[in-house]
Amino acid sequence: MTTVSTNTFASRPSTGRSLEKSTFWIFRIATYVILLAGFAVFGDIVFKGSATVFGAFKTTSSFPYFTNTFLTEAPESLYVFEHKGEKREMGDTEYRAFREKETAAALAAGKPAPVFEAASYVYSAGGIWPCIVGTVLLVVGSMTIALLLGVSSAIFLSEYARDGTFVRFVRLAILNLAGVPSIVFGLFGFGMFVIYFDWNVSLLAGWFTLAFMVLPVVITASEEALKAVPKGFREGSLALGATKWQTIQSNVLPYALPGILTSSILGIARVAGETAPIMFTAAYVVRDKMPWDVEKISDFFFQGVMALPYHIYVVSSKIPQNEYTSRVQYGTAFVFLGIVALIAASSIILRNKLRGRYKW
Amino acid sequence: MPPDINTAADTGEPSSKFAIQKKRTRLFGLTLDETIRVFFGGNALVAVIVLALITFFLFREGSQFFGQNRDSLRTYRLAGLEYVDIIRQQEEDHTALTRYLFDIRLKAVVQLTEQGIDAAEINRRLAAFDAFSERYSDTIVPIRGLVFELTEVATDIKTRYNENEDYKVARKNFLAAGMKAEADEITIKDLDFAKEIVAITGTVSAYEQINNEYADALKASVTVLPTLPVASLQPRLERFRELTREYLATFPGRLATLKAWDNNAPVKWTEAFTQFIFGTRWLTASFWQDWYGIIPLFVGSLMISCIALFIAVPLGVGAAIYVNQIASPMEQRLIKPAIEFISAIPSVVLGFFGIAVLGQALRALSQWEALSWVPGFPYSERLNALTAGCLLALIAVPTIFTLAEDAINNVPRAFKEASFALGASRMQTIVRIIVPASLSGIVSAVLLGLGRVMGETMVVLLCAGNRIAIPDFTAGFTAFLQPVHTMTGIIAQEMGEVVRGGIHYRALFVVGLVLFFIALLLNFLAQKIVRKYRISIG
Repeated sequence: MTTVSTNTFASRPSTGRSLEKSTFWIFRIATYVILLAGFAVFGDIVFKGSATVFGAFKTTSSFPYFTNTFLTEAPESLYVFEHKGEKREMGDTEYRAFREKETAAALAAGKPAPVFEAASYVYSAGGIWPCIVGTVLLVVGSMTIALLLGVSSAIFLSEYARDGTFVRFVRLAILNLAGVPSIVFGLFGFGMFVIYFDWNVSLLAGWFTLAFMVLPVVITASEEALKAVPKGFREGSLALGATKWQTIQSNVLPYALPGILTSSILGIARVAGETAPIMFTAAYVVRDKMPWDVEKISDFFFQGVMALPYHIYVVSSKIPQNEYTSRVQYGTAFVFLGIVALIAASSIILRNKLRGRYKW
Repeated sequence: MPPDINTAADTGEPSSKFAIQKKRTRLFGLTLDETIRVFFGGNALVAVIVLALITFFLFREGSQFFGQNRDSLRTYRLAGLEYVDIIRQQEEDHTALTRYLFDIRLKAVVQLTEQGIDAAEINRRLAAFDAFSERYSDTIVPIRGLVFELTEVATDIKTRYNENEDYKVARKNFLAAGMKAEADEITIKDLDFAKEIVAITGTVSAYEQINNEYADALKASVTVLPTLPVASLQPRLERFRELTREYLATFPGRLATLKAWDNNAPVKWTEAFTQFIFGTRWLTASFWQDWYGIIPLFVGSLMISCIALFIAVPLGVGAAIYVNQIASPMEQRLIKPAIEFISAIPSVVLGFFGIAVLGQALRALSQWEALSWVPGFPYSERLNALTAGCLLALIAVPTIFTLAEDAINNVPRAFKEASFALGASRMQTIVRIIVPASLSGIVSAVLLGLGRVMGETMVVLLCAGNRIAIPDFTAGFTAFLQPVHTMTGIIAQEMGEVVRGGIHYRALFVVGLVLFFIALLLNFLAQKIVRKYRISIG
């Protein structure tokens, strides 16, 4: 008998074991390929886009002494031309002023007016301020509607409803609504709000379309949060003589609220990120006025807005790809991705925190 | 409520009533609590209402499409366009045959070049073949001339008819607005199709004569085949003769069809329907005839989905197994949020990434020498089904991963423990126990992933190349490298440009309806599979 120097139960190499190991490696690679692909998209846009955004900082004479032209200006055309042997790039307003000044100077000096041969690229200068405003307006309005409808539906489903045909029907509808493609929501919004209600392309039409689209997410998330509140809380309150509504008000909603809000943030990310539903219901390719420049209050609701996702679609499909246009393309994509990622990340982090905190 | 109890006790009335009483405010005969309940219940109903409204409005805008399509088909027949297309088909078949000849020539040139023969010599050797092919393609000239003439006539009839219809609408609008004088100014000359059509059907005897000459010329041209300088291609030439004979055999049938053709034959409802469902052409704003066939769009959507799932299913399911069964807790905590994070990347950003980076990168990859064995590589179209499919895979992966991971997580612990207790290794447990037990959940995850991919708009709109044609499947896998158009893409692209209420507009709504029902069907299947094949203890 040989001497046993090591643990008898230690694993010995065998074909089965190495097969297992290599299979596990395949699974591991699959996982990391996904992460790598996501990282590639993210990294490319952050890397190239941040140059546009951070390159647009300018100092100003008044407080706060700096400004970011990319984030605070409206989009305009970019003019690229050669002047006195050097290459110049200017936005629309700057270019006009410059041309007038040069022409006047030349005329004053008694020389012939200089000829400007500029190549123009639409939307490639200026910034994306109106798009940011439009997206924020769309998100705030649609989430207000969606939360009101969604949370009340969830309260009904989790607190009041007893299993029956009606509830089964509602649940089935929610489940199916979640699978409807976003472009179909866009068509529906176009057919109902834009044409039938005659709201035209407007904020209001966009709000309702987006709210209906995100409704299943909000309902499911809120119901989950409500279900997580222990039964004892309700029973304690009811035993003290409170009515059902008082119980919900004082003993259920306050504890479910953080959960409802965090999960609904995921809904916000979805609303902010969708393009197809707002294409024909709320988004304009370009608009000079800011949303608050309205004569009547009611006009505010019936105006179309520029939105970030739609702007990305426009600048990436309707204008050619070159070094001048790619700056604004990447910059817009970076700002948009940043906003959505921030929303999504905060939701994920908050949820993981809350999971740990509430343990009843 | 507490105050009520106090007052009842303080006054100390001799009561025949209960000591504890509740005063209830009533709204429409409902107590406050009931009102609240009804309010919440009503909100819950919103989901049902929205679903109903979507169906209703899609139907409302789309339903008239089939009527309008039927009218369009009826005009197509009445004005004789159909008649001309029957003859045109003959011309097109001939063109296909000449293309076959070109193909043979191309192959011969390639082979000869490989043997190191220079261009002039190749042309000299192929001279006999070229003379043959020229003779062959010239035979169609009379037919082509006839088709050209008839096209003019039919277009003229159709244009006059459409103008007349427009006048009628204008007149009706004037009358409705009470402007009789303006209405009377519009003269409507009703078209007598029976009289007009003679200009087309009257040519049948001329056609018969031309056709006979054509058939004879064709027969004569293939009696003697030229010898090719490349012997291996000779069988293809024989095959070509075979094809020509088959083509010739269709002539009598075509003539009979033309003779029996009647411009007054009614267009059935089913025709308007089948032209949409099985139509292989989506052709709009054409001077000749608009076709609304969903097949090219459907095939495009399906192809892209296949590519996406082909990539996403192994990755998504593999990652789900890895994270749930193999990964360390630390990895688990990091990977799950990271993949959820990927699902938050907006699709339009992915589409932009496809245009700016992935399209070029894939094309560059295909031009890499070491990969030239892959069918279809290298290719030149930057935006095609493959580019869109790869990006959609990234959209489908988080959906499939999350749901599949859930399904695996729901496998009862006891299953795994029992397997280990019997001495199975980890891999055996995963392959034989965990995966089969959660298979229903995984399959439904894949179905929901498919639904996600089918309904995705922005990526395919930006990256699929948007060419409305059924890819050439005879070329095998190369079909997946061709640009395609999709159902979602066509709605997004054309909705902004169409006339409201027109046939094109309604056709887009019907496409939306088809998408809607596909989504419902996939959802239904996913639920059914989960419910039917769920495995649980006991």
